[in-house]
Amino acid sequence: MRVPLPFLHECTVKMTTLRAFTCDDLFKFNNINLDPLTETYGIPFYLQYLAHWPEYFIVAEAPGGELMGYIMGKAEGSVAREEWHGHVTALSVAPEFRRLGLAAKLMELLEEISERKGGFFVDLFVRVSNQVAVNMYKQLGYSVYRTVIEYYSASNGEPDEDAYDMRKALSRDTEKKSIIPLPHPVRPEDIE
Amino acid sequence: MAARGHVQDPNDRRLRPIYDYLDNGNNKMAIQQADKLLKKHKDLHCAKVLKAIGLQRTGKQDEAFALAQEVATLEPTDDNSLQALTILYREMHRPELVTKLYEAAVRKVPSSEEYHSHLFMAYARVGEYKKMQQAGMTLYKIVPKNPYYFWSVMSLVMQAISAQDKKLSQTMFLPLAERMVEKMVKEEKIEAEAEVQLYYMILERLGKYVEALEVVRGQLGEKLTSELQSRENKCMSLYKQLERWPECNALSCKLLLKNPDDWQFYMSYFDSLFHLIDQGWEPPSEGEHCSEGEVRSSVAQAIAFVEERLAVEEAKETRPLRGPFLARLELIRRLRARGCPEEQELGEPLELMFQYFIKFGDKPCCISDLKIYLDLLTTDHHVQFINRLMETVPLSEPQDDGVALPGDTRALQRHLCVAQLSRALGLHHALDTTGKLDLIRQLKSHYRHGLQFGKSCLKTELQFSDMYCLLASHVYIDLWAETGDETMLWQCLGLLEEGLSHSSSNAQFKLLLILLFCRMGAFEPVVDLYSSLDAKHVQHDTIGFLLTRYAESLGQFAAASQSCNFSLRFFHSNQKDTSEYIIQAYKYGAFEKIPEFIAFRSRLNRSLHFAQVRTERMLLDLFLEADLSSSLEDNVKSMGLCPEEDDIPWTDMRDNRDLTVLTSWDPADRQLSEEQRSFSLQEELLWLKVRFLTLRLVGTLAVLSHPPTPRNAEKAAENGVVAKPDILRPLLDQLNTTLQNGAQFLERGVQYPFLGPSPTRLAHALASGSCHCQVLAFQLAAYVQELDAAALEETTEVQTQISNSFKSLLIQLKEILNKCKGDLLEVKEGQCKTQPTLLENLVFFVETVCVVHWVSCFCAGVLRPLKASLQKRKKKKKEPISATMVVFSGFQEFTAGLQSLFSEVLDHIKGQETSLTALKLGELTLEEVMPAGEEAFVKLAMDKLRSSYLRSLQELGDLLKKRADVLKSLKI
Repeated sequence: MRVPLPFLHECTVKMTTLRAFTCDDLFKFNNINLDPLTETYGIPFYLQYLAHWPEYFIVAEAPGGELMGYIMGKAEGSVAREEWHGHVTALSVAPEFRRLGLAAKLMELLEEISERKGGFFVDLFVRVSNQVAVNMYKQLGYSVYRTVIEYYSASNGEPDEDAYDMRKALSRDTEKKSIIPLPHPVRPEDIE
Repeated sequence: MAARGHVQDPNDRRLRPIYDYLDNGNNKMAIQQADKLLKKHKDLHCAKVLKAIGLQRTGKQDEAFALAQEVATLEPTDDNSLQALTILYREMHRPELVTKLYEAAVRKVPSSEEYHSHLFMAYARVGEYKKMQQAGMTLYKIVPKNPYYFWSVMSLVMQAISAQDKKLSQTMFLPLAERMVEKMVKEEKIEAEAEVQLYYMILERLGKYVEALEVVRGQLGEKLTSELQSRENKCMSLYKQLERWPECNALSCKLLLKNPDDWQFYMSYFDSLFHLIDQGWEPPSEGEHCSEGEVRSSVAQAIAFVEERLAVEEAKETRPLRGPFLARLELIRRLRARGCPEEQELGEPLELMFQYFIKFGDKPCCISDLKIYLDLLTTDHHVQFINRLMETVPLSEPQDDGVALPGDTRALQRHLCVAQLSRALGLHHALDTTGKLDLIRQLKSHYRHGLQFGKSCLKTELQFSDMYCLLASHVYIDLWAETGDETMLWQCLGLLEEGLSHSSSNAQFKLLLILLFCRMGAFEPVVDLYSSLDAKHVQHDTIGFLLTRYAESLGQFAAASQSCNFSLRFFHSNQKDTSEYIIQAYKYGAFEKIPEFIAFRSRLNRSLHFAQVRTERMLLDLFLEADLSSSLEDNVKSMGLCPEEDDIPWTDMRDNRDLTVLTSWDPADRQLSEEQRSFSLQEELLWLKVRFLTLRLVGTLAVLSHPPTPRNAEKAAENGVVAKPDILRPLLDQLNTTLQNGAQFLERGVQYPFLGPSPTRLAHALASGSCHCQVLAFQLAAYVQELDAAALEETTEVQTQISNSFKSLLIQLKEILNKCKGDLLEVKEGQCKTQPTLLENLVFFVETVCVVHWVSCFCAGVLRPLKASLQKRKKKKKEPISATMVVFSGFQEFTAGLQSLFSEVLDHIKGQETSLTALKLGELTLEEVMPAGEEAFVKLAMDKLRSSYLRSLQELGDLLKKRADVLKSLKI
């Protein structure tokens, strides 16, 4: 999960067309994806999300037709164990459309969809070093549920990086049980 | 694959190690283990299949296939074998065999839900829609689950979509699908949202918008909950289709009241407004305006509506939304276009845009917002507008250099926005040379000053002032384009290098550097720049052209091959990948995604870039990587090239290039227009056709040069029979026509914006003479073919033509070579000058020599047996056939001429290498033309350029040397 978006207090200035992401948007998202923290995945990855969770893949379009940013997510987990939840897989906004609160708006939509699906919480992973994003999520009501050790494998010889698994409880989790932080960090193989 | 449920079955236990080996990529051990198992249990079919998978993955396709067929003919019904075979066939790219497999399985076990469902998916993989429809129904009869029924319905829709005969879709497939759904509706069996979604899709495709509206607004529509505003969006689209403007109007307003920032609804509101005005719509005297509520159908109401939204925003204590402010400008534009005087009630655009800037000028998006409405300003107000904006930007007192600077990032962003707006208004372009240079000075000053605000930025973040640097670069490029002064490009390169040193992940810097280096003939630096963009997967299709356009034409063949391979790998995996997700879409009921995925797959398969890299990859193979010791025929065969076949979808090619990936703030009339886009595609297609025909012509030589047995040769000579199909001539004719079309295209003198698409190699290719030289070479091959086919006695004329061709080929090659002479890079009066065209011509020379070389091999192949048989006849009959000697001696003179051309070009390359190496760039004094801090960056760029030129020369030289060696052995 990667996000570069500060200044949440100004989160109301977006002016956008929000719509479902379609395959054709893959040909237009370079201004967003040429960002160093935004991963361009293989086609199967996008198609999997579009086939399985199309409602969770939303793109914002500017009046001039440029793509401003998008969010990609899914719903997963066991209902019986109260782990059914929305997950943010990718969230990115093009440099010229930052500082408008667009990421916050996209997160809000994902949370609303997760509410409708009866999720207990929404979660996401973020690089421990990506302080900008971590702070933004905190402002949006997310808290660190656990640290996942060496979740991001690095190339070019640098050490692997830890991730925060951040969560926000939804209304179904009335006692906010899902976000009680774990006392110890976990390894990637221990998470589902 | 190893994830299997229960382990009770002893066979599962036995097979387990093989699965594990395969999963771990240890194919050899998997094969051994399978062999061991098969010794003990001959009838364990699955072991055979697993062995076949191992064989397939170690490159033994034929063996693997044979083994698989052994099992398949037994029509297995065990899970393990079936699944393993499915995997194997998919890896073999033979999905049609999976259908056969499960057809057999369901025949044997007709009640199996699982096998029927696999059969359905197998059909889906190959797009057998009719069979899918049946398979779905069969499944539903076995197990009456709703999804199966709707799989069948969807398969009908797919038959409709894919049908050639659209009438059949409308009268048969879709109505049938509709009836199938109606049946379920009547029986109240509709369960899932996906089912309603599918019903909507069918009605929409049938044009039954009224019925669709009833569904969406009715009880069934309540199921449409996953997607946000799903019902509203669907209604809106239906109202537009039905031209129910009152509803469209009312719904838009309703949604805008809820979210005054959703741009699409302003658009639909204004659209509906003017439709209603044109229709003279009047609200009913009593009751509701329409089913969606209140309609605001007059200009006055629209103005009031927008102003109410504005008032709400103005009254807010938090920062206002941008939507209503931009909507006001949009409404002015639309009113003005209709000549409505009421436009003035909304205010003066200049004033409104000024206010917009006051509110939102510190947002990076302010420029993209306002640039859409700049045409509302009259030209004589442009300067006034910019001056008014500038007055509001808080800047310091002018510094020593006369530049006033911002004190924080907000002021910086405002100032930057004004600079961007002036450019968008054409004010930068209007400046004279001195004015432009002064502007650059100021922009650079702002750029460097602004870096202090971003000292704590991470490597992955951009600097606040980066865009000043990009703006200054654009002005440099303007100056270069106007004056042809190359120092402007050098300084531009230097500035961008400087920018990159402070902001290492700025993609725009990298993209512009790539473009500039390529235009200056240097590809080497591009490789690192591009790879640092980390462009992957679909980006190969959208921006891969940045690499493939120049790599080869600038003589960096290794890089060219590699870039083609990156792209090809992506395209080749597309077919298999997409099919899997079409199946997933069925499973998850994402029916609306199925046609979308299929269109996506086709868009990639029909990609212009795909056809280009496929063609260039094969040409590169023939030019560079072909095994010169083996025959052309073997080379062509190993490439899988089939010269008789034209498999490029010329008429329906998709241009997936992202031609606006480079940021531009140029005025609208200097931006890439739709017309230029289509010209660019036209030009790309023409050049692709030239290249594709060249490739096929070389391939044809291979087909023609089956070494004839001496007896056949004599027989042919005696009977005068044309034994070989004449594919050379028609292709040659096509090439000639295409070159003519190309020349005609160039006469139009189409120009593209610098930041838009690059021109193709077509113009240079024609100017260098290489195209015509290659045509001549193929012409020669055609003559030689004729000679081969005819009786020797009747060939005097063709022999003369051959001899003449030999001579003219040498002359033309020499002419191309002359166009390569000169210094690629020279230092004159303290200035660096480049002539990249010389390098491009040299590459054309090399490519042409390669074509000529293959033609020579073909000639030698034909002439050699001819000469031998002639000598035999001479001995027998003692008759002098002096005429044929012309061809033989002509060929020898020709190869000797080629040899000397080779030495000449190699000498030239060597000379260039020496003088480039000797250039003392370090000692160049640039201080007179630029400040000391910039010099280092400019010199860095110069070094990169030189290194790149040297590398190109070396690659070209190596290639020529290889060819020269082979040429020596070319004797008849």
